[in-house]
Amino acid sequence: MIASVAVRGERILENVEGGAMGPCNHEWSICNVRHGYFVEEGCFECGARLSFFSAEPVPPIDKYREGRHYWAYLGSFQTVKFDLKCRACAGIVDLNDVNGLMLSECTDRDCQVGALVHQQGPDSLVYVALCPNTSHPTGKCVSSEGIEALNQYFRAKLAPVGRKVTIVPCKLCNSIDKCRGTSIVDVGLTDIQ
Amino acid sequence: MKVSELAQKTGLAAINEYKDREIERVYISDMVSDLIASARTNSVVVTLQTHKSLIAAANLAGAAMIVIVNGRKPSEDVVALANRTGIGLFSYDLDSWAFAKKLVNLGFE
Repeated sequence: MIASVAVRGERILENVEGGAMGPCNHEWSICNVRHGYFVEEGCFECGARLSFFSAEPVPPIDKYREGRHYWAYLGSFQTVKFDLKCRACAGIVDLNDVNGLMLSECTDRDCQVGALVHQQGPDSLVYVALCPNTSHPTGKCVSSEGIEALNQYFRAKLAPVGRKVTIVPCKLCNSIDKCRGTSIVDVGLTDIQ
Repeated sequence: MKVSELAQKTGLAAINEYKDREIERVYISDMVSDLIASARTNSVVVTLQTHKSLIAAANLAGAAMIVIVNGRKPSEDVVALANRTGIGLFSYDLDSWAFAKKLVNLGFE
């Protein structure tokens, strides 16, 4: 359920540096900024997709076999990754499992994300946090701690200017590979290298 | 300084309907994804990008105003998204450096 995306600051966060932090009205700031490439690959046997972040100067484009999958390079885009650090308790939420953010333009009301987009007021937008394996074969997606911290960070940042955003994990999409949206990546900036 | 005042003093015409917010700082970048981590709230963003992802990123950054340089113009869907966010969208005929000099002359540092 979408309602499970908690946005208040009282929850105990785990899996952060130093273990559980205890109750804290977190004051998140961005830390550990990494520049690199969002690389997308597809299996030409089953159509599965995966993506990863590469900090290499030139993104890898090799084809390779992994179990039953035959992965081939589909494309790459420049992007930025970061983590969130709380100024109050010094806890860090590792956002390594977030490969990017996508502004959702989903119109499918049978999709949880589409339904949420439909419910938004004029000053509110929904963003989807993209995990490395958007096919979700193991059910794993962006961590709930990461989603919660992202919502807290952006809501605290944008509240004073009268804007609202909701961040949801990509596993809530019926099909992220067919979903309508605008990914925040840079295309073609380094093509002339 | 408000968005409208900055636009008037630099000779910019608005492309969209915007919220007339206070401008506190400047961020210049042609890398859209960089805005999320680096641009701060109430910024004027100066860029030559016109893609929709520019608005998606500037919204997360809390930007108040975007100036697209080199005379480039955004498409209608980009303008529509900017309208939803209230971010002021403007086009400037010269390059980023020329606009940066105007901002410095207005007291931005």
